[in-house]
Amino acid sequence: MAAIPKEKPSRVDESRAEFARYKADVKARGKPFYPYAMFHDTIMSLVVVCTIVGLAVIWKWSAYGPHHSPIHKGLLGPEVDPPANPGTTSFVPRPDWYFYFLFYLLRIFKWPESVFLGTVGVPTIALVLLLMLPFMDRRRARRPSARPVAMVAAVLTIISMGVLTWKGATANEALASEVVQSVPKWIKDEHLPPAAVPGVNLFARAGCTACHTYDGVGGALLGAPDLTEIANRHLGIATQIKHLNDPSSVTPGSPMPSFSSLGQERLRQLAIFLEASKGTH
Amino acid sequence: MATTYRRKPTKAELRRQQMEQVVMYPLDWLEERSGLVGGVRYFLFRNVPSDINWMQTLGSAALTAFLVQAITGVILAMYYVPSAATDPATGRPVAWESIVNITDNLTLGWLVRGMHRWGASVFIILMFLHMGRVFLFGAYKYPRELNWIVGVLILVMGMMEGFTGYLLPWDQTAYWATVVGINLNGTAPFLGPWLAQFLRGGQEISGATLTRFYSLHMLVIPGAIIGLIVLHLYLVIRLGVTSPPWSKEAAGLEPEEEESPQLRPGLTRPVPRPAGASPMQAEPGGRE
Repeated sequence: MAAIPKEKPSRVDESRAEFARYKADVKARGKPFYPYAMFHDTIMSLVVVCTIVGLAVIWKWSAYGPHHSPIHKGLLGPEVDPPANPGTTSFVPRPDWYFYFLFYLLRIFKWPESVFLGTVGVPTIALVLLLMLPFMDRRRARRPSARPVAMVAAVLTIISMGVLTWKGATANEALASEVVQSVPKWIKDEHLPPAAVPGVNLFARAGCTACHTYDGVGGALLGAPDLTEIANRHLGIATQIKHLNDPSSVTPGSPMPSFSSLGQERLRQLAIFLEASKGTH
Repeated sequence: MATTYRRKPTKAELRRQQMEQVVMYPLDWLEERSGLVGGVRYFLFRNVPSDINWMQTLGSAALTAFLVQAITGVILAMYYVPSAATDPATGRPVAWESIVNITDNLTLGWLVRGMHRWGASVFIILMFLHMGRVFLFGAYKYPRELNWIVGVLILVMGMMEGFTGYLLPWDQTAYWATVVGINLNGTAPFLGPWLAQFLRGGQEISGATLTRFYSLHMLVIPGAIIGLIVLHLYLVIRLGVTSPPWSKEAAGLEPEEEESPQLRPGLTRPVPRPAGASPMQAEPGGRE
């Protein structure tokens, strides 16, 4: 029998041939970088610098009055926030906008079973996939119309990043002033004893509801558990105080910050309140 | 041409020759010892495909944003004080006060700080747009895989700049976002607790954390970014810029992909094609 017809060139050979063609084409019919491409690059760079200066100007001139005042935020937020205060009792952790997608991802996964997926798992997998893209998509086709799978994957990625960023930006923050108004309802719903009243007031003011939910109020952030029925876990007052002092000593890897700056007496009040929270039924 | 030298050069010609010598001498000196002039000439006058479009300026736009960050960052570093200690006169943190001083008292300090603050966002956005363009063009494919990886690393480093720089004003938002951010790093297996401890410089966020973030933000990460950008640009110059994949005149287009002009009624400008030859053959060896 005759020999097998000439073998089809391998993908690597085809890629190399295409690149050789590319090099030859550019040499023969290309145009010099300077001045043609450089002209476009220069105009674009000027637009970038003007945009940055414009944002800086809007930031300053749209905020009027004393810039520490949260009332005069301006269009792009206040120029200066209040100074860091580790002993503060109310805060809402909020990263810069390009971390909002991660920030919101953490609300989707629940503590403690799957929060690890939100903090490390999903971001790591996404990064590895991004790095490995050229090795997963090794076809030579470059036209978008010839790469339907890649295009659909890209559109889905953009949509999900956009939705996560948007949800992170508009996530409702449990403001201490609003949370405090729920205290009477909590005392009634949960049948809290008088001993737990100092604790419930502290709970509403200390920023706990920035992450935790309680009787339908709060942020559900970073996978923080609902505390409505926390007493039914029978952790005991000593464990609760230990946890508030150093959360990761009780729950390894907990992202919750230490609240020891409140003072041991207040932590005891919080612990009594938590151990009295037996649910709303 | 030799005949022109028979004539005695005029004074104007002589002066011109002298001027050329004065200008060229240092360049020749530099070229002979480094080859840099030839390198710059190659960079400027190398050919790029004739059909590149505006989307392909996003990479240099991101570079411009990075340079704005570098320049404004150097100026800010001259006035910023990375200390979490309390100023005894006012009872406020020194770092926070130095930011207020830059914003309120320094000539154009608000502009430099504002450009640095918002330039960071512009830099991140431009890197994402540039990445989107590269994806759309399929420009990460052979032989540019390595440059895609370098680009992703620059993006990650840029976001780390955002994370470390966010803490430096030492204000409430920054402080508590960093508390949670570091605790989240701590949830990673094996390395997590060690990394969190390293970033904090102890059990709690303190002045040690601030100086660490300052050092990372100003020295370590920018150094890495500059190195990666140099590698990124080297690979761009070495491998060339891709044509838009939908271009009818795309460089490297396969000959059989090119239809004949009468099959493409919509095309107003057919590829010039001498009889019996493909345009690719203008350069010998351009095709196998």
